[in-house]
Amino acid sequence: MIRFEGIRKRHGAEWVLDGVSFEVPAGSQLGLLGPGGAGKSLLLKMAAGLVRPDEGSVSVMGRDLAHLNEVEMAELRLNIGMLFQNYALFDFMTVEENIAFPLRQEGRLSEAEIAARVDSLLKEVDLPRAHKSYPNQLSGGMKKRVTFARAVARKPPIVFFDDPTAGLDPVTSSKIFRMLNHGRMHTETTSIIITHDILGLQGICDHFVLLDHGKLVLHGTREDFERSERRMVRQFWDGTSDE
Amino acid sequence: MTSVLANIGRRWLSLSEGVGQMTLLTLTTWWKFWTTAPDRIEFMRSLYKVGVQSFPIVVVTALLTGAIMVIQSGQLVAQYEAYGLLGWGAGYATLREVGPILIGLMFSGRVGANNTAELGTMRITEQIDALRALAIDPIPYLLVPRFFAIVSMMFLLTLVGNLMALVGGTITSQFLLQVDWRLFVWSLREYLHLSDLFNGLIKSVFFGIAIATVSNHFGYHTSGGAVGVGRAVNSSVVFSAVSIFVLDFVIGYFLP
Repeated sequence: MIRFEGIRKRHGAEWVLDGVSFEVPAGSQLGLLGPGGAGKSLLLKMAAGLVRPDEGSVSVMGRDLAHLNEVEMAELRLNIGMLFQNYALFDFMTVEENIAFPLRQEGRLSEAEIAARVDSLLKEVDLPRAHKSYPNQLSGGMKKRVTFARAVARKPPIVFFDDPTAGLDPVTSSKIFRMLNHGRMHTETTSIIITHDILGLQGICDHFVLLDHGKLVLHGTREDFERSERRMVRQFWDGTSDE
Repeated sequence: MTSVLANIGRRWLSLSEGVGQMTLLTLTTWWKFWTTAPDRIEFMRSLYKVGVQSFPIVVVTALLTGAIMVIQSGQLVAQYEAYGLLGWGAGYATLREVGPILIGLMFSGRVGANNTAELGTMRITEQIDALRALAIDPIPYLLVPRFFAIVSMMFLLTLVGNLMALVGGTITSQFLLQVDWRLFVWSLREYLHLSDLFNGLIKSVFFGIAIATVSNHFGYHTSGGAVGVGRAVNSSVVFSAVSIFVLDFVIGYFLP
């Protein structure tokens, strides 16, 4: 479904991604782990076609992104939802307009259907009365939930979640994980989730990738991570440090 | 010596890159205008922000400009008792030069700076990436409506501004210089030609294109967080102002 092959990307003199290769099969959820600056968000942006690798290739739904023209890329992106780390909500639109925006642009649903979908999504993310609020009137946690609703509004077969629980209280955080798990159990969604909440992630992902300084450290199942004796893996998986 | 040359080379490359980016963005904006239907809501929003919200400031600026033109030329007119030339003097300078230039500079400070800041903030907060991720091309969605709102409103507001400047001049001549308003209007009608009006309006279109191009470019290519937005706005206002004066010189030289 999604394949990264020999991905390299340079920022200045430094390689921020260096020879990363792995695959995410259709219908599975992959947890992307690693310390800050490891290149996780960059990989997600590459998978969404927002950034091009300097070397290597990214394929989504069997199509090499480097060979797609603008129109083909836009068609492919209709199958992708993305939750951005810094919300990326349109600040000149209300909450309901933000969530309805991808649905209106797609043009498949009537206004009544769009309104019903927005209502149901806002209830799901526990913001049933936030329709008319603007993003600058919301807290960080509320913004995160709105951006979650926008990412899944079209019910895309592929969703990328860049730190969906960052800055959230434990209750909201577990609610987001419940929704992610619901997505896994009830739909054929393929997703990549970046988060530092390893415990939350362990229950919902089929396999994991650990990156460090732009290099892939380990790609495997939960069992592979639990069995690994590599120090970096142990530290990340168990949440321990050397000191 | 080597470092001086390297520095010149770096600056030259950076300037070339900027000019190249701006040219490409402008050509793409034009191409998208003809090939893609702009978003109606975004287009109306841009027209409202650029046109309706600028209207009061343009009216005030123009009224005062007309008044100042009359006060300045009034001294000379009184010296030679050439009251019949007061309308022509004020009108000629306003329609050809002062009107379009002042409205252009006001536009670059208000509309251009705002446009750059808005696009720059959207860039650094990943809103432009979010548009692309939602399969929406940001150029027809964001840049095309802004470009054409700025150009069309610059033209229309210059027209309004010219009218207001003449009204301001007429009022000032009547009440401050005691020159009968009918003489002022007669002078305008007798000595001014349509070419004077068109000359200024043609300039306004080019000024609008310059402000839209520069503000879109600096906003769309913003990088470096909040500091980057400040830098982009600053560059946008400076480049727009310089472009206005360069264009004024070139158009003034070639147009009769």
